[in-house]
Amino acid sequence: MNNLSTVIINGMSFALPLFIMAIGGIYSERSGVTNLALEGLQGFGAFTGALAAYVIGMHLEADSMVPTYFAMLFAILGGMLFSLLHAVLCNYFKADMVISGVVINILAMAMTAFLTKTINKNIFGAASDKFVLGVMRRFDIPLISRIPVLGAFFTNLYPFEIIIAILAFAAWYLLYKTPFGLHLRAAGDNPAAVDAAGINVIRIRYLAVMMSGALSGLAGICFAYSISAKFSSDIYVGYGYLAIAALIFGGWKIIPTLGACLIFGFARSAGYQIVQQLGLPSSYSDLVMVLPYVLTLVLLVFLAHNSQAPRALGEAYDKSKR
Amino acid sequence: MDSEYIVEMRNITKRFPGIVANSDVTIRIKKGEIYALLGENGAGKSTLMSILFGMYEPDEGEILIRGKREKINSPSRATELNIGMVHQHFKLVSNYTITENIIMGQEPRGRFLGFLPCIDIKRADREIADLSRKYNLEVTPTDIISDINVSTRQRVEILKMLYRDAEILIFDEPTAVLTPQEIDALLDIISGLRDSGKTIILISHKLDEIKRIADRCAILRRGRLIAVLDVKSTDTKEMANLMVGREVSFRTEKKETGFGETVLEIDKLTIHNSDEFPVVRNVSFKIREGEILAIAGVSGNGQVEIAHAIAGLMKVHSGDIRLYGKSIRNMSIRERTEAGIAYIPEDRQEMGLVLDFNLKDNLALKRYYRDSFARKGIRNNTYLDECGRSIIDKYDVRCAASTETIVRSMSGGNQQKAIIGREIELGGVLTIFVQPTRGLDIGAIERVHKQIIEERDKGKAVLLISLELDEVMNLADTIAVIYSGEIDRIAPAKELTTREVGEYMMGVGVHDKAGEVV
Repeated sequence: MNNLSTVIINGMSFALPLFIMAIGGIYSERSGVTNLALEGLQGFGAFTGALAAYVIGMHLEADSMVPTYFAMLFAILGGMLFSLLHAVLCNYFKADMVISGVVINILAMAMTAFLTKTINKNIFGAASDKFVLGVMRRFDIPLISRIPVLGAFFTNLYPFEIIIAILAFAAWYLLYKTPFGLHLRAAGDNPAAVDAAGINVIRIRYLAVMMSGALSGLAGICFAYSISAKFSSDIYVGYGYLAIAALIFGGWKIIPTLGACLIFGFARSAGYQIVQQLGLPSSYSDLVMVLPYVLTLVLLVFLAHNSQAPRALGEAYDKSKR
Repeated sequence: MDSEYIVEMRNITKRFPGIVANSDVTIRIKKGEIYALLGENGAGKSTLMSILFGMYEPDEGEILIRGKREKINSPSRATELNIGMVHQHFKLVSNYTITENIIMGQEPRGRFLGFLPCIDIKRADREIADLSRKYNLEVTPTDIISDINVSTRQRVEILKMLYRDAEILIFDEPTAVLTPQEIDALLDIISGLRDSGKTIILISHKLDEIKRIADRCAILRRGRLIAVLDVKSTDTKEMANLMVGREVSFRTEKKETGFGETVLEIDKLTIHNSDEFPVVRNVSFKIREGEILAIAGVSGNGQVEIAHAIAGLMKVHSGDIRLYGKSIRNMSIRERTEAGIAYIPEDRQEMGLVLDFNLKDNLALKRYYRDSFARKGIRNNTYLDECGRSIIDKYDVRCAASTETIVRSMSGGNQQKAIIGREIELGGVLTIFVQPTRGLDIGAIERVHKQIIEERDKGKAVLLISLELDEVMNLADTIAVIYSGEIDRIAPAKELTTREVGEYMMGVGVHDKAGEVV
């Protein structure tokens, strides 16, 4: 396998979970709810997913794929459940959305670390601060994976990449083609107009935030099954914030956001590849981890004036206001 | 249907904390008429219609639609009963097309990729185009809301009602945001809707509009129904008196005075907007003590930018602004305030007030740093309160909780009174009024006009910028007509007729600057 293929393969497997998480963020923010909680949501989703995989895996053979899929399902449910906290704080209590998001990130980190240790000790009888998951089994798509260069996009795939591609399409369709999507995007621009049309703004915002929780949770377990190969507090390295950066560069639109995620993904995998090719010590690969964030800063400089944030972003909807 | 009335509201009472908005009001509206609700700001017109549209529930009373008693507890219920409302503040999604705004909540369905349910936007576009042709409401369905002007947005709001098969159409002060030409067009549209069988309820405080198109008119004052009149057989004077509750004079009394020293001198002023386009070009004029200079012009011809430049809100590109001979061009806004410039801005909610602050703080916004208001950087609350109270009394600002009233909860007229009070009390030498009576009712307009004259009689210089030609003709000593950023004509008011000024405003005046007076 040549270098370019490696860059593509690793880049895609990082970019896609990032993308699905950014889509979650887009849902939340287009509905008007600022969502800085993506980081915490993906971590919490990874936790519930990993726990589910552990529990179910106890009763199955070691190489069964079943726990993996259950892990994804429970990651989605866990993320969704945890996001309800943000939804309730923002919509019902009309709390400051930025503060709520930050608090949820901190809470997720502390809570999952505590729960992981406690559960490991009391249920699995092991003193450990992680759930070891291993890396998901990869596969090639027959025939098209043989195409030169482009075939790399279909080689050595994680199953979750396919799932994400399908879900991303579904999310795009829901947001831009259906009445629900029309109402959701309107709620982030002028919620009073949505209300006047007889549509429940608060309900839409709850659903949008839950969507962000579900998709972030999925992203979290994908990271846990690929880059990390485990669930531990390592999961909180800032992918959530990177997803937020991606959706902002994407102008809160799904297709341009995919572009931003791919840039981040390829920058990261290309960086690793360069470090390896040059035979640099492993400490340099830590430096590469910084690359997407540096890129974020650079992009910020160029895109600073090009912000198309939803007009009502961050405003709790209050019917009675004039 | 055994009743001749399509809408009956019987004995409606609605209380809000501190005020009774509607007290035992009964109105009956016939199918196919234009029924006007006339009253001053805060008379309870909007509340009454909000009740009919299901936004508030009445504390007492009942509503009958087509002779049947109905409980209208939400706008959706009102829509089901074929009631539609155009609100004063439009409820439109700015980054959506006209079609998307209209169909929201009732989207025509189609198939995406042949099997997935989706919105059939093409069909919707066609439907909206048909609807707009049918009712003569010209719009391009695929235009984005943020790209279209106010009167088109209003047409979108009307189409929204028609798309939902509304039979009873409520218009809440629809002309407040429009230019005179647009008002004419809208009134024609409303008459047209009546002629096609719709029932119209028109909330307004503009007598001439009601006289022009309404069939009957109910007058509300301080929450009570005063009279229901047949519009044709009543003159506007009588309606005005009933509405205000006292004799109203339409002409403002103004005594002749001599002018003093030159206060403000604008010298070859050019202003560029953010796109580097010269919105004001080479404008010069002077205002003397005891003089009202009015800039007349159609909206968007650069008059507001001149006011902004004097107040310090916009940068001067070239030319100079002098106050008593001293250039203020590079002064900060506070320095200008201290030099004696008072500014009553066009947009009272965006620029004039901090809506979520209370009245006390709003009334001190321009002076809070002065010695008596703050000692060594610490607010003197007692003094702030006293000052607030004195303005509230002197300028008759009606508010529920005195100086503690949150400004957002006040009516537009009272917000304007508060701003005018605040600015006049600064005790400056030049007062700038931009559209001071926009959206105000006749009683309030009369009061504002008196205050403007008083300022002049005190020997201050007054710059009045107004789109209302009547206002300009009534008040000004000197009139400058602006057209696309240039002053076309400047002359003493008595040398100009309304017609002449109107022509210059449209840019069709004879370009004869011989009569220019400086």
